[in-house]
Amino acid sequence: MLLIDIEGIKSLNDLFLQIIKQNLSSDALQWLETKVELIKTEEKSIQLNLTFSHLPRLAGKQPIVLQAEDEAKIAQLLPGFSLKEWTADRLSRVWLLMQVPNENKEAYIKKISGLFIGSEMNEQIALYSTLPFLSYAEEWVSRCEDGIRSNIGTVLEAIMYHNPYPAHFLSEGAWNQLVLKAFFTDKDVNHIVGLNERSNQALTDTLSDYVQERLAAHRTVNPEIYKLIEQKNQTI
Amino acid sequence: MCCNDNFQERNEGEKIQTSLDLNDISGMKFFDPHVHMTSRTTDDYQAMADAGIVALIEPAFWLGQPRTGVDSFTDYYSSLIGWERFRSSQFGIKHYCTIGLNSREANNEKLAEQVMEVLPNFIFKEGVVGIGEIGFDDQTAAEEKYFRLQLELAKESGLPVQIHTPHRDKKKGTQRSMDIAIEHGLSPYSVIIDHNNEETVKEVLDRGFWAAFTIYPFTKMGNERMVEVVKQYGSERVMINSAADWGISDPLAVPKTAALMKKSGISLTDIELVSYRNAITAFAQSGQIDENDFLSVKTIDQSQKFESNSILRGGQQPRVDKNSIIIS
Repeated sequence: MLLIDIEGIKSLNDLFLQIIKQNLSSDALQWLETKVELIKTEEKSIQLNLTFSHLPRLAGKQPIVLQAEDEAKIAQLLPGFSLKEWTADRLSRVWLLMQVPNENKEAYIKKISGLFIGSEMNEQIALYSTLPFLSYAEEWVSRCEDGIRSNIGTVLEAIMYHNPYPAHFLSEGAWNQLVLKAFFTDKDVNHIVGLNERSNQALTDTLSDYVQERLAAHRTVNPEIYKLIEQKNQTI
Repeated sequence: MCCNDNFQERNEGEKIQTSLDLNDISGMKFFDPHVHMTSRTTDDYQAMADAGIVALIEPAFWLGQPRTGVDSFTDYYSSLIGWERFRSSQFGIKHYCTIGLNSREANNEKLAEQVMEVLPNFIFKEGVVGIGEIGFDDQTAAEEKYFRLQLELAKESGLPVQIHTPHRDKKKGTQRSMDIAIEHGLSPYSVIIDHNNEETVKEVLDRGFWAAFTIYPFTKMGNERMVEVVKQYGSERVMINSAADWGISDPLAVPKTAALMKKSGISLTDIELVSYRNAITAFAQSGQIDENDFLSVKTIDQSQKFESNSILRGGQQPRVDKNSIIIS
């Protein structure tokens, strides 16, 4: 059950590089391309780890400038996904991870997993943003579930907003946790890919309980919860 | 941290709460280059933001309880660049840190060896502005060994060093720390000597190092003494911090001291240097501090907090009225 096929990944890869070229200085771009060559050939993860950490210093953290036609192409290649409001370092990091050689499954998983350990806040954001583009997609489900347990709002948003991975790969239980956590942490659930499609009875039951709990506490209820419950009821 | 407190005496003291008046320094911005936020509450973050603190540095330190395994260090360092950084951002305060093996735990050599192996995984991370806090506690051979190894690490990575000077035998410990840093070929301009007092400051400044002062009740500097130090030695390469932690300490030490300096007739230029600018100049040698990062955070914080801005998305903390008995 592929989220996106090899051709699609390749197109996105080229498109991302093109956008990076428009948003990075020529020095930063040259540095990145040199590093990628080293990363493609190294056995260990030294260059990968260093490049991944160093990237913001070269790429900068300014929001990327995005052409409307590129935006449209991306939406077509990977529905739900969007680079809107991404920064240059985030996109560069995601693209960098797409260059990690994936022929050897064990080595690949070890390299990517190594980046999660001891990752800095913005590194975590980039790592979770890369989930839809990682090889061996099913292998990252527990990482994704871990990320949903994070209390760092920006990390949660990297998983929840415009990220098609969770809806495609998470079990019902994990998906429901994502949605509940989104409501609990006041996220804008309209950015969640697959919110309506993956709605289910267990989720709406829990959400109904949550509504009662809020009302009993004299707290406000996010109108999106009612919409989700209602939408589910109509499909039954 | 202070110890052996007489809690009965402390608790029996008069319980009069007066409100803090920081009007004198209203509108000024501050940088606290040494504060252990891990051990502070969100109330402190709110108070710091209200008092004008826009950025801070949290040095890696001893947690009060010795760690028994390297994973505890890994998790601690991870929290400094992860969770704590986010917590701080919720109050619009830019959080930096220094990473290092503290002197006390350097004495557990078996563990220290393992910690030295994981340090390189952290020192190149975004927002890591130095190796610290390192130096001497007891001034043992093991402390010296890991102090030297970390100075080498700082030299290789081009990072500033934040040096903790010992409470006991302070003067000699401070001299020795500087001697060793010079011996390893570090430029004094890249080394911040911390926890200075009247007895150490002259030599530290004469030798070209940065002199940091910790305003911390009972055990370190009081801020009236600090005012006198600035009057005597000026503001060049001098900075103040709170080193607030689990002890009876004060996360508002920097703004409070600035207010006292202003009352005492110290020029605004000097106040700005010791409570803001010098810390940035010293630690920006890491290449990891961009002043725009926290200046822009401040404006976004107030005007667009509900816009989904990449810096502050994830939510500002709602303000609670501490003086109301209602908790909703």
